[in-house]
Amino acid sequence: MTGTDQSSFLGRISIRRNQVNAMEGYHEQEIEDLELFQKQLSDRFAELLSAPDDAPTEAFLSISWIRKLLDVFLCCETECKAILLMERDAAQISKPPLDRLIPELLERVVKAMDICNAATNGVELVRHCQKLAEIAVSALEQKPFGEGQARRAKKALVSLMSAMHVDDKESSVQKTAERSWSFGRRSGNKDRHHGHYRSLSWQVAKHWSASKQIHAMTMNLAAPRGPEASCLPAPVYILSLIIVFVMWVLIAAIPCQERSGLTTHLPINKHVNWTHSLAGIHDKIGEEWKKKEKKGMAGLLYEMQKMEKLGQSLIEFTDSYQFPGEKEKLDEVAAQVAELAEVCRRMDEGLVPLQMLIREAFHRLVRNRTEFLDVLEQGAPVV
Amino acid sequence: MDGCQSGVPTYEGDLHVVAAAHHIVKALGATKNLSDDLRKILIDLDSHLSMITSNIDSKGGRGLVDVEERLDQAERKIMRWETDPMMIWDSGPKEASDYLEAVDETGKLVDGLRGLSVHENRKQKEILHRAMNILQMAMSRLEEELIHILVRHGQQFEPKHMYSRSIRKDIVYDESFISVEDEPIKETSSRNYSNDESGECIVDLVHADVIPDIKSIAKVMFTSNYGPEFCEALISVQKEALEQYFSFLGTENLSIEDVLKMEWTCLSSKMNKWTWSMKIIVRVYLASEKQLCDQVLGGLGSVSSYCFLEISKATILCLLNFGEAVAMGPHRPEKLLRLLDMYETLACLLRDIDTLFSEEAGSFIQLQFHELLERLGESAIAAFEAFRVAISSNGSLYPFAGGGVHPLNKYVMNYIRMFPEYCNTLNLLLKNQHPGVADQVTEPDYGLDASLLTSCPMAYHLRSITSCLESNLHKKSQLYKDEALQHIFLMNNIHYLVQKVKGSELRLFFGDEWIRKHNAMFQQHAMNYERATWSSVVSFLKDDNPGSSSMSKSTFKERCKGFSVAFEEVYKTQTSWSIPDPELREDLRISTSLKVVLAYRTFLGRNLAYTDDKCVKHTVEHVENSLLDLFEGSSRSLRNSRRW
Repeated sequence: MTGTDQSSFLGRISIRRNQVNAMEGYHEQEIEDLELFQKQLSDRFAELLSAPDDAPTEAFLSISWIRKLLDVFLCCETECKAILLMERDAAQISKPPLDRLIPELLERVVKAMDICNAATNGVELVRHCQKLAEIAVSALEQKPFGEGQARRAKKALVSLMSAMHVDDKESSVQKTAERSWSFGRRSGNKDRHHGHYRSLSWQVAKHWSASKQIHAMTMNLAAPRGPEASCLPAPVYILSLIIVFVMWVLIAAIPCQERSGLTTHLPINKHVNWTHSLAGIHDKIGEEWKKKEKKGMAGLLYEMQKMEKLGQSLIEFTDSYQFPGEKEKLDEVAAQVAELAEVCRRMDEGLVPLQMLIREAFHRLVRNRTEFLDVLEQGAPVV
Repeated sequence: MDGCQSGVPTYEGDLHVVAAAHHIVKALGATKNLSDDLRKILIDLDSHLSMITSNIDSKGGRGLVDVEERLDQAERKIMRWETDPMMIWDSGPKEASDYLEAVDETGKLVDGLRGLSVHENRKQKEILHRAMNILQMAMSRLEEELIHILVRHGQQFEPKHMYSRSIRKDIVYDESFISVEDEPIKETSSRNYSNDESGECIVDLVHADVIPDIKSIAKVMFTSNYGPEFCEALISVQKEALEQYFSFLGTENLSIEDVLKMEWTCLSSKMNKWTWSMKIIVRVYLASEKQLCDQVLGGLGSVSSYCFLEISKATILCLLNFGEAVAMGPHRPEKLLRLLDMYETLACLLRDIDTLFSEEAGSFIQLQFHELLERLGESAIAAFEAFRVAISSNGSLYPFAGGGVHPLNKYVMNYIRMFPEYCNTLNLLLKNQHPGVADQVTEPDYGLDASLLTSCPMAYHLRSITSCLESNLHKKSQLYKDEALQHIFLMNNIHYLVQKVKGSELRLFFGDEWIRKHNAMFQQHAMNYERATWSSVVSFLKDDNPGSSSMSKSTFKERCKGFSVAFEEVYKTQTSWSIPDPELREDLRISTSLKVVLAYRTFLGRNLAYTDDKCVKHTVEHVENSLLDLFEGSSRSLRNSRRW
C-alpha cells in the first residue's frame, strides 16, 4: 500500500466531512467511509497472508514481513483515527456507548505501549543472536578450515543456542540477576556469558507478563452488533482489534518477557468480510505457536527459526568434525553456512529499521492516546 | 600483501632481497608512535618474510623444523595453563606477558604459514592446523581472562559525593490544602547542583592498573581476527555492570501502565530519583564507559562506539521509557516542578548525549532523547495550564472563617515562589503560550523603565496567575455576609500576596509598579473596612450642633448607650476575626484607635458634666485597650468590662 492511497483516503474523509457535516445523509456517507476503510484493511491483510512460507526475503513472519505488518498498523491507525475524530463534534465521542468503549481502547493502547517496549528489548536479543551467528559463520568460512575453527564455531553456536532458548520466565531472570560474580577459579565461568541477555534490562518490569497483557487486552473486545455495527463503535472495535492483533503477532515472533500461556485465540469476528485474512494469519500463527510453545523458543520470527535449524545442524557438524573432513559433508556445510550468512545479512539489514519502526509505533500510540484524551476532555459534560 | 604469496624465491639473489627487506621491516617495527594498523601490517610482513626465509631454508629441511620448534615452545606455554586452575593475569605480570608472547608467536606462525601455498607441503599443512588449534584454545582462554579481569577489577563508585539529591518538599494541590505550610523553604537545599557544575566527571569503571592488560588482550585478539569475541565479552560484562549500577541507584524498571497508575507521592519520588540517576548515568557512568571503550578499543575504527552503544542502549531506553510514561500521565499541577526538573536535566544532558552517541548507529538514541525532551516540555506546559485552571476553578461553599489568609493563596504563592529558579526554562516553554483571553491581565504600564525580567514570558504568566488568584479571592470574599469582613479578607490576602512577592525573587518579575498597585489595593480595603465597621459606631459620638457646648443629658445617655452596644457588638464579632500578619494588625489597630478613641475622648470631653453617670460604660483607656483584642482570631465578650 502506498502513501498516496492513504493521503487520498484521508483527504476524502476530510472533504466529505466538510461538505456534509450536519446535513442529511451524513450517516450514509459515514457508512460508505467505513466500508471503504474495511475494504482497504481486507486487501492489506490479504497481501500479508499471501506471503510465501519459505522465501529468502519476503517470507511469512520474516523481519521484512513484520515491518510490513507494522506499516499496515501505522496506516490503519491513522485512518481509523481519522474516521473517529476528524471534523467530529467532541460531544459525540463522549456519549454512550463510546464513553465506555474509548476508555477501554485507551487501556489497550497503554498495554500495547509496554508490549512495544518489550519487543524492542526482544529485538536486542535477536541482534545478540545475529552477532554470535556471525562469529560462527566467519569461523566456518575460514580457509583452510581445521579443528581450531570448528571449535571456534561450536563455541559461538552453543552460545547462540542458549541465547535463543532463553527462558522467558521471570524466575530465571531473577536467578541470573542475583547471581554474583565470584569466580577466582575458572570452573565457575565456563558458560557464564551465554545467558547475559536474561538480565535486568530485558524486563519491562518485575512480574510483567506479555501473555497476561494480551489476555487483558482481549477482555470486553467484542464486535459491535446490530445498528452499532455501522456507526462509531465499529471503528473503535476495528482499531482495538488491530492493536491487539499486531501486538499479539509481535509477542509471538519476537522474544518477550513471560510469554507462557500466550492466548492463541483472539476474539476475531469471522462473519465480517474484512477479518477473513486477519483470521487466516491468526490461525496460521496460532498453530505454529502451539507446535513450538512446549520447546521453549526464541519466537516465531522466520530468521530466528532458520537460524535455530541451521545452528543445530552446524553444531552437530562441528561436534563430529575431524580434520580434514569428507568432501561431501564439507560441501553440504558450506551451503548451510552460506544460508546462515544470508540470514545474518538480512538481520543486519532489517533489525535496526525494525526496532525503529516498533519505536515509531510506540510513539504513535502515545500520540494517539493524547489525542483521544483531548477529545474526551473537550466533550466531557461541564460539571 | 597478495603479491608476496605468489612465489617462493629459488635463487640466491632473491634470498638477499628477502633478507634485506626483512631487515628493513624489523627496523621499521622498532619505531615508536606507529598507528595500530601500520604496526599490524609490519608484523604480518615480518612473519611472512621469516616464513619465506625458512621455506627457502627448508630445502635442507631445517626451516620447517625451526617453525615446528617455535610452535612447540608456544604450545607448551599455552597448554600449561589449560590445566591450571589459576587465572593467568592473577598469577603475575611475567606469566601474562609470557602467555601473550606465546599467543603472539602462534599468531605469527599461523599468518606466515597461511601466506604460503599450503597444498605443496603436507607437513606444512599439518603444522598450520596444529597452530590454528592452539590459537583457538588461546583465544578462548583470553576471552575468559578478559571477563575475569573486567569483573574482578570493575569498580563501583558511590554516587553520594557527586550530587546531593534534591530534597525539596512537594507542594501538592488538593482541595483541602493539607500539605500547605507557610514555613520558609530553604532555597539552598532544593537545587544545589547547577546545570553546568558537574562538568566532566569521569571515574575508572575498571581499575586503571589493568587497562594496559585489557588493551594487550584486545590487541592480540583483534590481530588474530577474534575481535567479535572480544566485543561480545566486553559488552556482556559491562552491560551487566551498568544494570547492576542502575539497580544500585535504586532505579527499577517500571512498565508504563505501572507509572500511570502510581500515586503521586510515589511518582514524585521516582521522578526525583530519575532526574538524579539520569545525570549520574549520563554524565558520570556513560562518560566513563565511553572512555573505557575508547581506551581499550581506540584506533579500531567504529568498534569502540559499537561496543559503547550495545552496553548502554538497554539502560538508556529504560530511563527514556520512564520519562515517556511520566510525560503522558495526567497533567496535575503538582507535577509541574518535577517535570521542569526532568526537562532541565534532559536539556542540559543533550549535548553530552549528542557527543556520546555521535556515530550514525547512535542516532536512534539521540533521536529518542530529543523526542522525550519535546514531550516533557509539552507536558510541563499542560501541567502549568492545569495549575492555572485549578486556581481559577477552586470553589468554596462556605466563607473562610476569620477572614485570614486563604490556603489557596498560600498554596499558589508558595508554589510560584519556586518559578524564578526555572526562569529560563519557563520562558522558553511559555514563549508561545498565551494565557486564556478571559484571564487577560490589565498590565500595569511599565513604560520605559520596564526591565527585561518584568517583560519576559514568565513574568507575564506569573501576573496572569496572580490575577486568576485575585479574582478567585474576590469570589470567595462574596461569601461573607458582613461587608467589613469581606474587606478584612481581601486586605489580608492581598497583603499576603504582596509580602510573598516582595520577600522573594518574584519581585523582579512583578516589578515595582505591580507592588505599588497592590499595596494601594490592600490599603484601600483597610480603609473600606474602617468605614464599614466604624462609621456607624462613631456616628453616635458625633456632635449634631458643633456650635453649642453640650448636648442634653438624655441625648448623651442615649448616644453613650448606643455607642457601648455597638462597640461591644464589634468587639464580640471582630475579636474572632483574624489578621495573621502582626504588623498589618498593629497598623489597623492604630488607625482604628486614632479614629475611634479620638472621637470617644472628644465626645466625653465635651460632655464632662455627665461623665460620672453610670451611662458611661467604658472609659477611654478601656476602649483603647479593647481595640487591642481585635483580630486575634478568638471570640471574646465585653460584658463584665467594668472590672477593667
